[in-house]
Amino acid sequence: MTGWLFLAPLLLVNLLVIVGPSIATVYYSLTDWTGTGSAKFIGLSNYRRAFDDPDLRQAVVHNVIWFVLFLTIPTIVGLLAAHLLSSIRRFQMFFRTVFFIPYITASVINAFIWTSLLNPTNGIGVALSHIGIPFFKNTSFFGQPNLALPSVNFVVDWHWWGFLAVIYLAAMQNVDPALYDAAKVDGAGKWQLFRHITMPGIYPTLVFMFLMTIIWSLKVFDYVYIITRGGPGGASQVISTLMYDDIFSKFEAGYAAAIGLSMSFVVAIVLAGYFYLRKRGSEL
Amino acid sequence: MNDPVTLTRRRFLAGTGLAALGLALPGSLLSACGTDSSSGSGSANLKFWMDVAGAANQDYFKKHVIDPFEASQSKIKLNVTYYSGADLRRLIQTALQAKSGPDVVRALSASQDLAWVRSNLLADLDKYAPKGGWKSKIAEWALTPFTVDNKIYALPMREDTMMLYYNKTVFDKNNWKAPTNRDEFEALATEAKGKGLIPIGGTNSTYGASSEWLVTFFWNHFCGPQPLYQALTGKLPWTDAVFVDAIDLLQSYFKKGWVAGSTAKYYSVPQATVSTQFGQGQIAMYPDGEWLMPQLSQYFGKAAKNDNDWDWAPLPSLSSDVPPGLFVVGVGGSYGVNAASKSPDQAAKFLQWYYSDKKTAIDRMAGSPSTYNIPIAIDKSDLPSSMDPRSARLLTSVQDALTAGKFGYATWTWWGPKADTFVYQGVDKVLNGKLSSKDYCSQLNDIFQQELKAGNVPATIEPKPQKL
Repeated sequence: MTGWLFLAPLLLVNLLVIVGPSIATVYYSLTDWTGTGSAKFIGLSNYRRAFDDPDLRQAVVHNVIWFVLFLTIPTIVGLLAAHLLSSIRRFQMFFRTVFFIPYITASVINAFIWTSLLNPTNGIGVALSHIGIPFFKNTSFFGQPNLALPSVNFVVDWHWWGFLAVIYLAAMQNVDPALYDAAKVDGAGKWQLFRHITMPGIYPTLVFMFLMTIIWSLKVFDYVYIITRGGPGGASQVISTLMYDDIFSKFEAGYAAAIGLSMSFVVAIVLAGYFYLRKRGSEL
Repeated sequence: MNDPVTLTRRRFLAGTGLAALGLALPGSLLSACGTDSSSGSGSANLKFWMDVAGAANQDYFKKHVIDPFEASQSKIKLNVTYYSGADLRRLIQTALQAKSGPDVVRALSASQDLAWVRSNLLADLDKYAPKGGWKSKIAEWALTPFTVDNKIYALPMREDTMMLYYNKTVFDKNNWKAPTNRDEFEALATEAKGKGLIPIGGTNSTYGASSEWLVTFFWNHFCGPQPLYQALTGKLPWTDAVFVDAIDLLQSYFKKGWVAGSTAKYYSVPQATVSTQFGQGQIAMYPDGEWLMPQLSQYFGKAAKNDNDWDWAPLPSLSSDVPPGLFVVGVGGSYGVNAASKSPDQAAKFLQWYYSDKKTAIDRMAGSPSTYNIPIAIDKSDLPSSMDPRSARLLTSVQDALTAGKFGYATWTWWGPKADTFVYQGVDKVLNGKLSSKDYCSQLNDIFQQELKAGNVPATIEPKPQKL
């Protein structure tokens, strides 16, 4: 009973800020609510519409591309950086701090820095062309439909890999050094140490970050909204920016609620899979 | 003047109690952040959320709007909080829905007002109109989009139009004259490009809805006001060839590299860079709204460390059916009163004051070019000699166009909210080759007809001489 009393304030807050809006979202997803005024019940129409919505389909594809890029690039760079950092003693804290700075910098600042650097009129491309490297001279990274999404993703990867490096470094430092010593005695090389000692040692951390990456990939919003707002012509539109647009530009909050709930459903499936595997005794 | 939102414990508990019932959470919590105004004694501390950007502009707003109003009486105070335009739109809508938010409501477009009126979020201003003399002081055309079922729900904040800005120094140097028709416009664009200039400046990078300015330009100056009026009143579908051809023409200008240098640059070069290029003479012409005018002083002349100057001309007509000298008209936002305000009378008093004195209004127009251009009848002799002649000419030119019936329709004022959103989002797809002009117009037509049927298109005006 005492435990419940201690928990009560937190549960009450949770009820108010999570359960209440969640119930409201379920209700509004079944209505034609514009975001203001009253709402009319329309059953599952919003969900049926979502299946036929080409903009939503395109946004889902963009989220999948985003997930693949966001999972692979920062993870590989982060692992590499963590591995290199783990082998040095001097300046380790300095590099950890430097790698971490982009992560703690406000997204709007990072976005401004990169839109300036990649400005096709006076950014890096033009500067490089002045010194005889014309490769990026006429490239509009955020303005060309085929480059907009990967370019925004690059900015996010850039701010993210340092965070992963620090997380993976912490995990690597928890691997028993005796395992490395034993493997070395058996003649293991650097790659074998990494492949057979380090990777299994940080496996739970890797899987957890994988899980979080799926969730964050579905939720991605700020950088896309700040840099391209989903453009040009929807080329970098993701689910969350589409929802924002539906609510505040098209006055279709009911439809946006249906999309949001569908997203939550996907996240719930991922979480359920994770917890199922953990329950089955997997080392996650 | 910033006023932090307060949430008292009692209000929080009341709000959380309601929220525990389930659906009332957002509204109840935001309601707890309500006004601290009191109408019993006639005194009030009004909340006013605005999107005035930059310290200098905020200072001007304080000195020429807030302070004079507070000095004009002793009981009503204005607590102003500044937001960016995009944030303001989102925050006000959420707050209004929660029966909270500012007492004086600044909306960004007539179509947004209409959506709020349909949801009973804005107060009916009709009872305040006689004292304010609004129907005689404010031009009828500008009140029309804010009139729903014969009742006024908001007042026009700024008279909008579009012009062709040009780098006067570059034009003088090349013996160019501002184009008045399509042949001249295209010849000039070809020549400017040949000289290594960007013929037509523009960017979508900083403001996502800016593509609708180009659509407004091409639909009005290629199709003309009459087909647009017919389409806005449901008598002509948007699939008509005249509208499709206008979009095709716009797309062809992009394909020729006339606009922004390339389509990709139009979507990626920030406004500040484009304005700098314009000031430095790298861009010849710049079709944009009157709102660009106050920013140009930063990019031309001493402030920008160059010797260049700018001027403007009416947008050229793009077909022989459209007479030269046509001006698009629209309204750049509005002021209304929150239906949930505890001090609606005091909020209305501010509006009555704001539109009451013509001289004060003209002084504001003179002091900050185009920002405070409210749609009132102005005689040339009313304008102070200190006023920038380009700014003065704009006021009288638009007025002359209105009285002569030579005006067009701005998409952000006369279209419904969903159709207006599609106007710029859809054309972005056209310009990037993802949608044909024909399909664009067809999809717009579907959205527009639905909104028209539902009564969600603002009332419009006939393309004939208007009374000011």
